[in-house]
Amino acid sequence: MDSAFGQLAVLGSSLVLMCGLTLLWRRGSSAHIAAFAAQSVALAATAALIAVFTGSRELWLVAVAFLGLKGVLMPILLSRMDRRLGGPRELEPYVNTATSLVIGGLLVVLAYIVTRPVLEVSRLPTRSGMPLAMGLIFVSLFVIISRKKALTQVIGFLALENGIALLAMLGTYGIPFIVEMGVFLDALMGFLVMQIVIYRIQETFESIDVEQLNRLSQ
Amino acid sequence: MPSPAGYAVAIAQAALALLLAPGLVGLIRLFKARLQNRRGAPVWQPYLELRKLFAKEVVVSTNASWLFRAAPFVVFTSTVAVAFLVPVLAVPSPFDAVGDLLVVVYLLLLGTFFLALAGLDPGSAFGGMGSSREMTVAALSEPTVALAIFALALGAGSTNLGQIVARTMADPASAVSPGYLLAFGALFVVTLAENGRLPVDNPATHLELTMIHEAMILEYSGRYLALIEWAAWLKVLLFFSLLGNLFVPWGVATALTPASLGWAFATLIAKLAVLGVVLAVFETRVAKLRLFRVPELLAVSFVLAVLAITVSFLVR
Amino acid sequence: MRLTYLALVGAPLAAALAAALVRPYHRGVGVAGALLATLSLAAALRLTGQVLAGAAPTWGPSDMMRVDALSALLAVCVAFVAALASWLGPGIGRDEHYTPAQARRFRIFSGLFAFTMLIAVTANNVAIMWVAVEATTIASALLIPLHVSKASVEASWKYILIGSVGIALAFVGTVLGYFDYVHLAGERESALNWTSLIAAAPSMHPRVMALSFVFIVIGYGTKAGLAPMHTWLPDAHGEAPAPLSAMMSGVLLAVALYAIIRWKVVVDLTVGPELPDRLLLVLGLASLAVAALSLVGQRQYKRLLAYSSIEHTGLMCVGLGLGPLGVFAALLHLVNHAVVKGMMFLLSGRILDRYRTTEMGEISGLLRTMPVTGGLFAAGMLALAGLPPFGIFFSKFLLVRAGFATGHAWLMAIVLALLLAAVVAMLTQINGMLYGARPDGVRAGETRRWGLVPLALCAVLLVALGFGGFGSLQTLLDRAAEIASR
Repeated sequence: MDSAFGQLAVLGSSLVLMCGLTLLWRRGSSAHIAAFAAQSVALAATAALIAVFTGSRELWLVAVAFLGLKGVLMPILLSRMDRRLGGPRELEPYVNTATSLVIGGLLVVLAYIVTRPVLEVSRLPTRSGMPLAMGLIFVSLFVIISRKKALTQVIGFLALENGIALLAMLGTYGIPFIVEMGVFLDALMGFLVMQIVIYRIQETFESIDVEQLNRLSQ
Repeated sequence: MPSPAGYAVAIAQAALALLLAPGLVGLIRLFKARLQNRRGAPVWQPYLELRKLFAKEVVVSTNASWLFRAAPFVVFTSTVAVAFLVPVLAVPSPFDAVGDLLVVVYLLLLGTFFLALAGLDPGSAFGGMGSSREMTVAALSEPTVALAIFALALGAGSTNLGQIVARTMADPASAVSPGYLLAFGALFVVTLAENGRLPVDNPATHLELTMIHEAMILEYSGRYLALIEWAAWLKVLLFFSLLGNLFVPWGVATALTPASLGWAFATLIAKLAVLGVVLAVFETRVAKLRLFRVPELLAVSFVLAVLAITVSFLVR
Repeated sequence: MRLTYLALVGAPLAAALAAALVRPYHRGVGVAGALLATLSLAAALRLTGQVLAGAAPTWGPSDMMRVDALSALLAVCVAFVAALASWLGPGIGRDEHYTPAQARRFRIFSGLFAFTMLIAVTANNVAIMWVAVEATTIASALLIPLHVSKASVEASWKYILIGSVGIALAFVGTVLGYFDYVHLAGERESALNWTSLIAAAPSMHPRVMALSFVFIVIGYGTKAGLAPMHTWLPDAHGEAPAPLSAMMSGVLLAVALYAIIRWKVVVDLTVGPELPDRLLLVLGLASLAVAALSLVGQRQYKRLLAYSSIEHTGLMCVGLGLGPLGVFAALLHLVNHAVVKGMMFLLSGRILDRYRTTEMGEISGLLRTMPVTGGLFAAGMLALAGLPPFGIFFSKFLLVRAGFATGHAWLMAIVLALLLAAVVAMLTQINGMLYGARPDGVRAGETRRWGLVPLALCAVLLVALGFGGFGSLQTLLDRAAEIASR
């Protein structure tokens, strides 16, 4: 049986993955934004946990950054976007909810198979959570391709970034600080640009249903 | 080697479950009533209901066949059979050789199946509607029961319920492992679905649009209805025993001494009471789901069970 | 040398800052930007000279940035196309079709775009390379809808979403590579340096690195426009303003391939070349097939050029999977393609300005209306089709020869068949555009004649490359290919 550290890390990763699966379950943007916020908080908690057990100061900074940036700031911006964009509360996804959830479960199993070589190599106590992080990556990809509302696709992308961050934390206790900061900056910039483009879409199409984006199809 | 004492305890365990079941349901109803600011019927009201129903005459539709009369007995006996196999008071049980997870699931399914057929048999509209809804729910919830407990079985190395309990008692840290927590979540949702509780089905409603279980048994009266209701209450108690004894096994008797059995009885009452209160609070808090949303909820519990298995498989 | 490097990457950044700070937009800013881009190109050439003389300079904390022959080659290409786009982009001459605000936005973001691409190709640290490639997506996404329309907004959304997802997957690959290195050699600042990864490569775990490479190829391949991740490309390159499309098609795809090349060298040492080669061959062939088939039904010339980019990137990818000879051919092809595509998109910008339509069916009499533009356009089409005496013919020839040398005869036959289909599709379309009568409402004669000079220079360059290029280019390519196929 794993140590307490390993157990808690897996618990944290499970919570992060659960929030990701909630994106497939609940409909409506407010539920999605809440799920993303909860996921970021769980991610920050996991980072803090690893920081406690490894004594890494940088990871504390990373945990605070996650909490502030992705747990508070981005959900606020997303809610503001949601209110400004209006439109129907929920759009029928391409794949219905029950099937999406089952596919999500299967994707997590796939993630376990894919990360087997990685698990064999790793000697860290947090390694058991890595398949869950990879599962979140796959599930987020599925959210992006199966949802019709542009805002949900953005949330799916942010969840994908969370999954990758979790993978890095569990696999290598984080990445070098300067790189981490570059990644954060990129993430923030990317989000802002997506926000701008979505507002543009709203202005020109008067809806953010990506089914409307079908003029270029040749 | 199963001893006569072991058999006696097993039979006593089943009898105890049968006796306690109406009380448990009475407690849940009373607590819900109090939460809704009503006085509510006393805890022993279900016993009085059973006595009343056994005394009343049976009215059978002319369209019904032998199935209609046989179904209550099948449902009752299958549920009582499960009571022999689920670790309510003591492990190991002398029926362990025949009773493991899959047998339990099949017995439960047998009861559900016959009840659904009995709903269709008299040819009434409500019955058919209730049966089809019940099958929708059962299709997703039955596999989840098996999967959720299988996640625990992976850790214990056997699908024998008694062994699972023994293994969790031997390794307390595993009770808070992610696999267990996920399996608990899945099993809790399934308990709600299998027993027709909110948010899946309202046990107190008779509105056409909202009833599932009630619709299937609408045609029953007298002692048939008594048997079916008693079996349903027994099912609630058995699921609670599963939830309580598989995940928080301390208190279950491992030796057949009077002291440990007494202690097991006390902890059983305590766990049932706690779970009953939790269910009452939960039912008061939550609104009933629209019918086409129910498969979504069940899919969530299915995925939780699958995740529980994959996580347990790895952390093994 | 440090100064030269600072000039290389700092010049486009300064151009962007200048455009951002000066309000309202002034034509001088555009001219300054173009001059800075030329300075950047000069710096790139100077660095190349130093690299050819034997230096491999590094800068930054823990040697984050490094220029070797491969980096120098890419840097020259990027700086060249960026300079072209800068001189011929909005905001310098008399523009009837761009408002000052649009011109200003173009100057800011194209400067940032060039800056991030140059950082990406000169980074030693693979994570910095990743950050820079992600930044290129961000910098270019806002420019695609420079002329706001439903089509361009849709294109920019697809671009940023698919591009960001792809880049995120590339990051997974980067993390896995870092993970493997750290488990071998412990954590350190230089762990993500390409030079450190190469050194540790033989002792890394094959299966982990194979998994990492799959993510890298899918991730950066999305940015490079490899099938099946190419769906954003025709839209984005077709709807973007011409100078931006020139930069994106010409060099951004090349930068993404460069990232794949860097990782391939590491993975080849760990896993052996069979798996990476096979993966690249499959994806390259798929891209060729998709492009060849899609070229047949195209009605808009910018989308035609975009699909042609997919075709040529696929061809480069195939070359990368054919061993050292193939890598040399692929790199030569990269240079050729950058020059040709840059020229072609800028020419298409001129055509769009005059004819005000993107449909090929509505354009006719190009040679009569704008003789020089039309002539260069025709020459470029012939070049893209792979006909001599242009450079692409030469690199294609080398590539096919490499294929035969490594025993992929059947594959080369398929490649040639697909290329032939693409050629036929393109040339039949172009004929309709070149000949025929001038439509009503279209003025005859060339405007902004000075803009034709750089484009004519490109055409001359193409011919020169067709005859084997210059001696120093040959040496540069040799060295670069050596690095890329170790």
